[in-house]
Amino acid sequence: MKEGLQEHQAKKKRAERIILLGLPFLGFGILAAVLGTTEALGEWAVTVGVVLIIFAVLVFVLGFALFQRFETNFKHEFLKDYLSGLVEEGEFVPKKGFGKIQGLDPADVYNTEFIERADRFYSYDFFRGKIDGVDFVSSDVKLQRIEYETYRDKDGKIRRRKKYVTYFHGRVFHFDFNKDFDGHVLVLERYKPQTRRKYQKVEFESVDFNKKFRTLATREHTAFYILTPHFMESLMKIEKNHPGNLGFSFIDNKLYFAIHTGKPTFSVRPFRRLDEKLLEKFREDVGLIHNLVDELKLNRKIFKED
Amino acid sequence: MQGWLIALIVIGVLLLVVLIWYIATMNNLRQLKVKVKEAESGIDVALTKRFDTLSKMVETVKGYTKHEAKTFENVVKWRQNMPDELTVKQKEEFMEKMNQVQSDINVVVENYPDLKAEKVFTNLQRSIADVEEHLQASRRMFNANVSRLNSRIVTFPVSIVAAKINMQKYPFFEAEPAKTQDVKMEF
Repeated sequence: MKEGLQEHQAKKKRAERIILLGLPFLGFGILAAVLGTTEALGEWAVTVGVVLIIFAVLVFVLGFALFQRFETNFKHEFLKDYLSGLVEEGEFVPKKGFGKIQGLDPADVYNTEFIERADRFYSYDFFRGKIDGVDFVSSDVKLQRIEYETYRDKDGKIRRRKKYVTYFHGRVFHFDFNKDFDGHVLVLERYKPQTRRKYQKVEFESVDFNKKFRTLATREHTAFYILTPHFMESLMKIEKNHPGNLGFSFIDNKLYFAIHTGKPTFSVRPFRRLDEKLLEKFREDVGLIHNLVDELKLNRKIFKED
Repeated sequence: MQGWLIALIVIGVLLLVVLIWYIATMNNLRQLKVKVKEAESGIDVALTKRFDTLSKMVETVKGYTKHEAKTFENVVKWRQNMPDELTVKQKEEFMEKMNQVQSDINVVVENYPDLKAEKVFTNLQRSIADVEEHLQASRRMFNANVSRLNSRIVTFPVSIVAAKINMQKYPFFEAEPAKTQDVKMEF
């Protein structure tokens, strides 16, 4: 494994070297362009400067394209096997997610009933498997909505332009839930229900929990049945590590979980070492799934027939 | 406009605000009371379910030991002598009695491995664990609603409205269902 990692680190360095190569061209280009504005050097210096800057941009584009190619290859050739080995029946599919994997639809993200419908939907780095006999499915999701902003053009006229604003970027999970229940329950931090279903607010005996999460349920009893004191405590623990970004829903005997992180989960960034430390970070991300199964006792199936 | 007319309007508006607040508070208290009642009926349903499951369990262990059947018969007799609608205190007592029967059964199960292996019995154990969870949920829901109602009732100025409509504090349901960790369940 270490050798494989070193090989990819070498490929990564090649792409980074090209990115770095653009820097002197950019520096000299800017310098020439600035000096060209003085009387000592003429217009020719400005022209040379502009040419150097354009060349630098081309080198950057090439460098980042190579880096992206490296990242794709790294995920396919290394991370795929690595992550799949961390869980039972593990399967990691880079670049693909909800909507691109057979049997998984973007609707599966909206089935959480608290994630708003997007104008632009991206999903990638699909990961599924089994932990302690509990099936899970997860994928990174990036959702954008269209917003309009007004601005003044050169003639002073007010115009409107369209822009895409990211409102969710993180991971969405589905788990088999270990209890049969009637009704729907949402436990939310930053989200709002996105359905016309008649939800009522539920207040638990734990003041801290009520402060952290807004719980909505179609049947109050179901909320108390699912959210046992231990379960609430576990949610609080998980929340401590990801404050303000969690959403849970319990629908049709499934647990949906969404976490907004603002960045891709399994990404490699330029100029960061590709080493055991990075793999440790990925293991921690998978550890969150283990954590959910253990803490929420999803593997305790005494209430349900197999 | 004359001064006395303005004063009259101000007083009228104030009285109207107080009246609206009074009605809203009264409705809110009554709604909370309905919620408490609903939660209490949830306890009734869960207790009945537990009683039924327990009686099936007793039937199953009858062949192994007579003592549990006798204890359960006492519970049945006790229930028959009580009114249809039990108070919270009586419900607690009822639950305690059932806890006793259940823990006796658990002891029997430990001594008879054959019984432990019986499919019917393991299914009943599974049902009782689920019923326990429902009972626990109903109890917590009831207590959470009672706590909300009680704290509203004692808070001024809501306490004035509560006193006017004769709303009194509700007792909590104190008894805990039998702890599932005490029950060794091997499926």
